[in-house]
Amino acid sequence: MRSPMAEFLDYTQFVLAPQVLNGLSLGVAVILMALGLTIIFGLLDVINMAHGEFYAIGAFLALALGALGLNFWILLALVPLLMVPLGWLTERALIQRVFHSRERHILTLLLTFGFGMILEDVLKLVFGANTQKPPMPITGGTEILGVFLPNYRLFLILFGAALILAVWVAVFRTRLGAMVRAAAYDKDMASSLGVPVRAVYSGTFAFGVALAGLSGVLLAPIYSVFPTMGRDFILMAFTVVIVGGMGSIQGAVVAGILLTQVQAISSLYISPVWTDPLVFGIMVMVLMVRPQGLFGRLGNA
Amino acid sequence: MLIDRAPAPTLPRARDAVHAIAVLFFTAALALGALGWWAGDSFYLRLATEALIFAGLAMSVDILLGYTGLLSLGQALWFGVGAYTSAVILRDVAASFWLAMGATLVVTTLAGTVGGLIANRVKGVYFALITFGLAQVVAKVVYNTRELGASDGLIGVPEITIPLGFATVDAANPAGFFLLVLALVALLYAGLAYLMDAPFGRTLIAIRANEKRVPFLGFNPLVHRMLAYVLAANVAALAGALYPMLRGFVSPELLFFQTSGNAVITVIVGGVGTLIGPVVGSVLLTALRSVVGTWTEHHLIVIGVLFMLSVVVMPKGLVGAVRPWLQRRLSGSESPR
Amino acid sequence: MTAALSVRDLTVNFGALVAVNAMSFDAAPGRITSVIGPNGAGKSSLFNLISGAIRPTAGRVQLDGRDVTGQPPYRLLAAGLARSFQITNLFFELPVFENLRLAAQIHETPLKALLPTRRSARALDRAEELLDRFGLTAKAQELAGNLSHGEQRRLEIAVALAARPRVLLLDEPTQGMSHGDTAETADMIRRLAGEMTVLLIEHDIGVVMALSDHVVVMHQGRKLAEGAPAVVRADPAVQAAYFGHA
Repeated sequence: MRSPMAEFLDYTQFVLAPQVLNGLSLGVAVILMALGLTIIFGLLDVINMAHGEFYAIGAFLALALGALGLNFWILLALVPLLMVPLGWLTERALIQRVFHSRERHILTLLLTFGFGMILEDVLKLVFGANTQKPPMPITGGTEILGVFLPNYRLFLILFGAALILAVWVAVFRTRLGAMVRAAAYDKDMASSLGVPVRAVYSGTFAFGVALAGLSGVLLAPIYSVFPTMGRDFILMAFTVVIVGGMGSIQGAVVAGILLTQVQAISSLYISPVWTDPLVFGIMVMVLMVRPQGLFGRLGNA
Repeated sequence: MLIDRAPAPTLPRARDAVHAIAVLFFTAALALGALGWWAGDSFYLRLATEALIFAGLAMSVDILLGYTGLLSLGQALWFGVGAYTSAVILRDVAASFWLAMGATLVVTTLAGTVGGLIANRVKGVYFALITFGLAQVVAKVVYNTRELGASDGLIGVPEITIPLGFATVDAANPAGFFLLVLALVALLYAGLAYLMDAPFGRTLIAIRANEKRVPFLGFNPLVHRMLAYVLAANVAALAGALYPMLRGFVSPELLFFQTSGNAVITVIVGGVGTLIGPVVGSVLLTALRSVVGTWTEHHLIVIGVLFMLSVVVMPKGLVGAVRPWLQRRLSGSESPR
Repeated sequence: MTAALSVRDLTVNFGALVAVNAMSFDAAPGRITSVIGPNGAGKSSLFNLISGAIRPTAGRVQLDGRDVTGQPPYRLLAAGLARSFQITNLFFELPVFENLRLAAQIHETPLKALLPTRRSARALDRAEELLDRFGLTAKAQELAGNLSHGEQRRLEIAVALAARPRVLLLDEPTQGMSHGDTAETADMIRRLAGEMTVLLIEHDIGVVMALSDHVVVMHQGRKLAEGAPAVVRADPAVQAAYFGHA
């Protein structure tokens, strides 16, 4: 007869801990996506419906450049850089076109929705509709406290956490970040203080898009690459942004970890197919009782 | 929405022009239907019937977006509720058209009231997100529920005959069912156009134009937003209820975001706040998909570009673009009423 | 004689700021009562409280002796209280006539909302009457957003009047008007006094002194003084706080 304590430890080690760690690796990736979305909303009031497609573009760029022989570590830096001009141009050509309209929330939502459709089809046109899988950049696994974890997932968690920290430092501890926050808080005031508001808008949008592209590079080896890969993932990122508070960086991090853990742990007790309705249900509840989300938005934080 | 550039839907002369487009559209549809019947076609008639069914969904989006100023990103939820209710009734209860439609109205009014109470707690962009979230929850639940066929959907909906009093329509007959759906969509259009021009609809327009002033005129905006929501849900559901009669099955895809998003695209391309615009838009986009689809599978690019152009340079949609031209041709006499 | 509108200890705070602090006054029926005070005195907040736009933290509002504290604007309108806005608050993309028709629909039974609009004869007649009275007949089919500033200000008052309120709150009706328009509007307000009780916020002291039967002076959310125009004008505290700056 084994003691209940030993059973509990076994359960923790072999069932709960791997699930929590898997959830954490997904959580870090979702947070990276959500950060881009939430920063763009916080500054520009734009719900970027094409964010999932920018994520897919990042993954495809990594795939294509990887096939040309570029090494994963170079891609990790190169792909986000390549995404910057795309994001910049999108902001200038699409968002600015309707930015000063009274209905900019809705108009930018519709425009980015249409743009996402086009991007998805372009990806199909260029790369085909088939699923492709880039090679795993880091192989093998490590045992931590008796829990076996693939090395790449471990890297993802650590690198992602470092990246999230870097974004936080960039927004809250640098002059550039102060400009962005000033523009989000009061653009006229910021403008009169010499903040180049237009460039800050484009730059922030490009930054968000670059983060989406980077998420694409990081997740491609795990989830495979296909033109509609952004669709399901973006739903989760949106949910995280809504629950955390549209425009809040802390909110995205907290809600990102919370929701992916809810998903990971609940799937031990209910069928995994029911975790999606659970998470979306949480989103609806949050919108009902606290539409502003758990945390306030960028300019006011 | 698109308030700052789209003209108000109530200007009398603009209304006449819109009605003229509607009459033109339904006459042309009738003529094409007759042509299809004469040619013994079934593929195009079925495609056109499907376009009309989705036109119902688009009209319901327009009631919310074009008249009340609420963007629903989850209207497919109600289309799906109608489709599943109808399929279940026809398959498991009785193969009766009128029972299926009646049950759809009852179920949608009850569920729509609950959905409306949830969604109308918030406004603007949050309304868009909450409608999206609600549809997502229900879609996933349907997708997982074995009793509703889960990911496969419900198949084996029987072919029905529809007694109309003066005639009986066989749903399996492409021309007959096309005519029936055309008549229903025309009735739906006429009824909604009437209602939107009655004081009730004009109060919705007032909410779209300036919700803040509305309570100071004696109207409760929440009550009106609720009524608009439940009305729109029923319109979408009635359209959805026709779907299994046409295709013989329903699938969870009907509730997915793609369906809701397509409806929004249809409304914007066709002409927001016109009711006939969504109908015209649905037929044109379906035709476009099928024409473009014959030479490339990448019709999303074409539709996406058309959609974005509509938002940026043609905010009144196709109907809005031809309306001024028609207005000039219609008699100029008008009363202030 | 009971007051048409009676305000007792009305208070609202936004966080630490007490915008309206224990305000009490009466508006006599059929008379013009003005609320004056320097910018930021809390006049607009007071109007928002009385008209149901915001709910008070404390205090009461009575309409003809009936408690209506905290009721939403649409209930207050049915009870006979209407208001206009300092910042023109119309349906800019709807025609002038439709603005008035919407506001006059209150005269019809709810069932009429589902009948053709032309069947709402009382609302249509009322709207036409107001067009005529405010000199807007020629502009009936013009979009409200295309009117001149002066015309919009007139429509703003007409929309508030459409319901035939017993108590009318006018928030700076002459704001931004030319000299001639201001005089005309003042005349119009004076004529209204016979029909209804008017509560007026006005910056133009000349207009206030000429029109008002009773003046309430606000300063930093509180009532500083009240009385007949001449009495208030002579009050040293009022002169220090208000006229002193003017």
